[in-house]
Amino acid sequence: MMLVDSDALGTIEVPDDRLLVLPDGLLGLEDARQFALIPADDMGVYSFLQSVDRPELTFLTIVPAFFFEAYEPEIADEDVAALDLRSPDDAQVLCLVTIDDQLVTANLLGPVVVNTRTGTGRQVVLHDQGWSTKEQLGMN
Amino acid sequence: MLVLSRKVGESIVIAGGITVTVLEVRGEQVRVGVEAPRSVTVHRKEVHDELVAANQAAAQRGRVNVAELPRPR
Repeated sequence: MMLVDSDALGTIEVPDDRLLVLPDGLLGLEDARQFALIPADDMGVYSFLQSVDRPELTFLTIVPAFFFEAYEPEIADEDVAALDLRSPDDAQVLCLVTIDDQLVTANLLGPVVVNTRTGTGRQVVLHDQGWSTKEQLGMN
Repeated sequence: MLVLSRKVGESIVIAGGITVTVLEVRGEQVRVGVEAPRSVTVHRKEVHDELVAANQAAAQRGRVNVAELPRPR
């Protein structure tokens, strides 16, 4: 259990199995490596990805399968190796959500893949798989 | 910027561990092979820049009302 401070969410108790390490950070935000995954609803659709070290850094994520049935990311060999993924069952895929006025989109080009066995994650790039950084979630 | 001329099949080595090889030149298109340790990520620059911008846009400003977000169909 860890207490995590968040400007957006307040101080939250996070169980150890919801603490993630992204050794390479996120692209452009390489200095933030420790995150907490905090459920945002009780259906497991939305979660907050909160930086442990930077209270002001909070992301909203989705489990993409809820919105995009055809989304079947093929993870590159080097990402599989970097994450030490031994079984597809160990991989949890999360996509960062952007809210721009009423438009809600998810980044399906660069999902965060987490090895649930080790708690290690990595933002991967799905080259040539037909997904963009701004795939619209259902209409409001 | 360091500028080097290379022919097809020739390489450059960066920091001892990263090798970039010119594989093919066809018109305006150059095919490049990169050999790097697994810890080194390699992306096309425009994709890298797009992802950096997407991550910055996704960093939340203010609170989110989850109840108002789109629900799965």
